[in-house]
Amino acid sequence: MAGTVIGEGLTIEGDISGDEEIVIHGILRGRLTTTDAVTVGGTAVVGADITGASLSVAGQVTGDVTASERVDIQAGGKLVGDIKAARFTIADGASFKGNVDMEV
Amino acid sequence: MAESSVIGAGTVVSGHVRGQGSLEILGRVEGDVNVTGNVVIGPAGRVRGNVSGAQLTIAGQVQGDLRGTHAVLLEAGARVAGDISGPRVGIAPGALARGHITTDGEPTPALARSAAHAPAPARPAAPVPSAARPAARLAPPAPPIAPPPAARLAPPARPLPAPPPKLEAKAPPVAPKAPPQLQPQPQPQPQPQPQPQPRKAEASRAAPDATEAPRNRSPVELEFTPVRPIKPEPRRPPPPVVPVISKGTKAKKKKSHD
Repeated sequence: MAGTVIGEGLTIEGDISGDEEIVIHGILRGRLTTTDAVTVGGTAVVGADITGASLSVAGQVTGDVTASERVDIQAGGKLVGDIKAARFTIADGASFKGNVDMEV
Repeated sequence: MAESSVIGAGTVVSGHVRGQGSLEILGRVEGDVNVTGNVVIGPAGRVRGNVSGAQLTIAGQVQGDLRGTHAVLLEAGARVAGDISGPRVGIAPGALARGHITTDGEPTPALARSAAHAPAPARPAAPVPSAARPAARLAPPAPPIAPPPAARLAPPARPLPAPPPKLEAKAPPVAPKAPPQLQPQPQPQPQPQPQPQPRKAEASRAAPDATEAPRNRSPVELEFTPVRPIKPEPRRPPPPVVPVISKGTKAKKKKSHD
């Protein structure tokens, strides 16, 4: 089970930092930093810079993303911001706007 | 429906958390928490900020006010520095609390205080205003029928300002004080009836009963003790209304203790 879950209907205004998996179904405004995976659910609205091992986006994210492993934008997901990651996928039906740096 | 949220043990949130659903805090939150559902703060959980929710169950540390619309429960190991308010407040043995505690959010400090001290705050669901309850509970069974109107107005003035530190000494006087004010109105004949005349009755009764005995009782016991044993002490002048030790002073003392 995920270490931290921000449920739907919950709003966090501020920074989240930690060393465990974070799943967001609610609203986050601020900054998100973790050493583990980050999952942005379909109902989530995130306006934050995200740093983590990996990021999976099914909801809306606005902010720069730095992932040490990978970033995946699922179908229906929306990401606006710059991405820096070793691997990066955009599913069919996802929307993305921003720069990508894959550290070749 | 809003799902429950968890702030994991390894997570720190610096900012406000609000919204619907319940929340479990196992990590740290530096900011206010304001949700519609229940809030559980685990043993390792720490919150610096005000917390409000339906039912708050605290086993960790909180530096801030707690407001539970349903209940606030402090479990063993909890450490709370801040005010606590809610219709039900439970503090388990082993929990630390420092601050003002109010039950029901009613503006009746006396009632709140006694409820806070008594671990079982179950109050009779009487239609009588809460202010009148303390007096009504301790007053002789007979008079309450007539006097209630007076009881509502009179007692609050006296018992309320009584200082918290003197709880034990203060609690008994409530009985004698209230009756004298009440009795005269409905029942003009003072002497013959022992109940309406607590002061005289107690004077005569003082001999059999040990005056000190009731004093040593805990406030909890007093609530359920029949009126008779309580009466004897009031013969002496009522304790000063002004607290010997002001609330602030006590708090400072406590702090220095810690």
